[in-house]
Amino acid sequence: MRSLVRPAQYLALAVYLVFLGFPLVWLVSASVKSSGELNSLSVSLLPQEWHWDNYAQALERQGIVRSAFNSLVVALLSTALVIVIALPASYVLARVKGKVRMAGVAWILVSQVFPVVLIILPLFLVLRTLRLTDSLVGLTLVHMTYMLPFALWMLQGYVAAVPVELEEAGAVDGAGRLTVLRSIVFPLLTPGIIATAMFSFVSSWNEFFFALVLLQSPENYTLPITLKMFIGGEGKVALGPLAAGAVLAAIPSIVFFSLLRRKLTSGLMAGAVKR
Amino acid sequence: MRSPRAWKGICLLLTGALLAGCGGSGDDGSGPVTLTFQSLSDQPAAIAATNAIVDSWNETHPDVQVDVVPAGWDGIYDKLITQFNAGSAPDIVHYEAAGIAQFAADGYLADLTPHMSPQTREDIPPGVLDSVTVDGKVVAYPTELQTYVVFANKALLDRAGVPVPTGPTMSWTQLREIARAATKDGVHGLSWGLSSPTSTFVAMAPAFGGQYFRGRGEDAELSIGPGEMALPELVRAMAYEDRSILPVTLTQSGSKALAPFYAGQVAMTVQGSYQAANIAKDAPEGFEWIALPPLAGSVGPAQAANPQTLSVNADSEHVAEAAEFLEYFTSTENLVKLNAADALIPATTSAREALAEELGTQNGWDVILASGEHVTSAPYLFVSKYAQWKDTVATPAYQRFLAGEIDADGLARELRDGWQSTND
Repeated sequence: MRSLVRPAQYLALAVYLVFLGFPLVWLVSASVKSSGELNSLSVSLLPQEWHWDNYAQALERQGIVRSAFNSLVVALLSTALVIVIALPASYVLARVKGKVRMAGVAWILVSQVFPVVLIILPLFLVLRTLRLTDSLVGLTLVHMTYMLPFALWMLQGYVAAVPVELEEAGAVDGAGRLTVLRSIVFPLLTPGIIATAMFSFVSSWNEFFFALVLLQSPENYTLPITLKMFIGGEGKVALGPLAAGAVLAAIPSIVFFSLLRRKLTSGLMAGAVKR
Repeated sequence: MRSPRAWKGICLLLTGALLAGCGGSGDDGSGPVTLTFQSLSDQPAAIAATNAIVDSWNETHPDVQVDVVPAGWDGIYDKLITQFNAGSAPDIVHYEAAGIAQFAADGYLADLTPHMSPQTREDIPPGVLDSVTVDGKVVAYPTELQTYVVFANKALLDRAGVPVPTGPTMSWTQLREIARAATKDGVHGLSWGLSSPTSTFVAMAPAFGGQYFRGRGEDAELSIGPGEMALPELVRAMAYEDRSILPVTLTQSGSKALAPFYAGQVAMTVQGSYQAANIAKDAPEGFEWIALPPLAGSVGPAQAANPQTLSVNADSEHVAEAAEFLEYFTSTENLVKLNAADALIPATTSAREALAEELGTQNGWDVILASGEHVTSAPYLFVSKYAQWKDTVATPAYQRFLAGEIDADGLARELRDGWQSTND
């Protein structure tokens, strides 16, 4: 009986992977199908004939490379800013007790309940005063502001999970406050920082509404805006080029995740044992 | 990341990106007038046509230059409402009649009445002109519109032994009989993508005398009578009594309902007229398709007009220049170019006739353009809470009716009660 457990686990894992991977496979398949095949009833996983024009259209028609670069800049910048601000703030939030912590938590929760459509107008007016409405810097600041509360919430949970006893042990060994933070606490927080960075990056990468309203010039458009332009009025959708654009759009995210994935696990217990 | 060099690299990257983002041109107010034109043209050919028209204007009008700012249809209402509220909307706004009435009522759109030339005004059919007139003021130039058209698989009609209608119009009774005759051997007579049925029913109701609304703005009253109920009841009868409509298509979008048409599973399909271009492109080789004459109900072939429009921002410092550009943009020659590229029907009579002459009968253009003669006023365009009623009341009620969950009386009651609660 026990010998069947491992194969069953692998089978379940394989089924789960197929379940997760199917939309991506379907997307890639759709990106190389002709318009006629996409609108046909004879549905097949693999295209009857490979149609690379969709990629050419995606690249040429809407300036998707420039949009991807803009998205990358905004996502990396806002992620970096979020981490830089959230890391010390979350430490304070997790370690300090009393009214300050209560106020911080309350602020985080309240900031999450407003729908974006409610805050876009005052935000737009503020940014217009700062002459940042049609700029990537303005969008970066907005993304950073919008993601910060959730990042704080995530990170303070990781900080709270680090035993205070480890810090006290460091202090007993003669380490100063900063040394304890740098050598003991932050290494233990690496998985949390990576997870928060991933969340922030994806949130910014996919964000549509703020970019839609704030950006005016096509040269500043981010990827979600550009991809949405394949969906036209009167129900017109350029499905093939849209799928091709979506495949291209997924590549930077996949690369970013691949780079950070190893850090996610390798940092798990780093710093826990004094060397 | 312990290397100081790596940190320096990140700092440089961030600084560079910040500087790149800060870049932009200043506007010192000197030189020619520059108008921003937020265009929603989405098809490659239409984008090219729009740019060509703007380029030709810019070449001949050095003192008034137009900058095209492309935007997408998705989310455009939210973008426009924010831009108008923040006072940063473009000079020229591309949208649709169904969306501009409220903008005009809120004072965001300039009154173009004194700027529109008598020739242009006469060239726009009364029903279309009505759709861009708010409180007696013309607030937009209409450019393109669509109607609902029946496309047919000629081989399946021939096999059904029914004569293909060729007159100036075709009655709904004829359509029903043809659909019934073609329903055999695994083939259904009709596919009709009615996942969002309200727009279709409201647009086609005038053929039966249905208006849906009386009055304007917040004082509008909903009227659900025989004229409004005729088409939903007809569709349900075809679906459940005749069984001539492929049932699954009633829950699909118009584009999805094309797939069984291409596959030879249905003899006809009701679609937006612009689909003619897609059918020509996507239909299998050897697929012989035709556009049937415009559908006529008990009072004629009328359909409600909801054209695409070009308006001028009321806060623009150059309303007169913008209106002059719109006169140019909507000239017969330019509307022909734009509508041919977008596979839509020109909003002016002269452009429709010129396009009909240019394109002849290819891809059903003659029939499609003929359907544009019958567009009429659309009272729903000027009703403040129409969009809310449509999304929260009418669409789910129609979907339940088409699914057989409620009867005609129940549908009428839900539509009326829903309107009442929407206005409370």
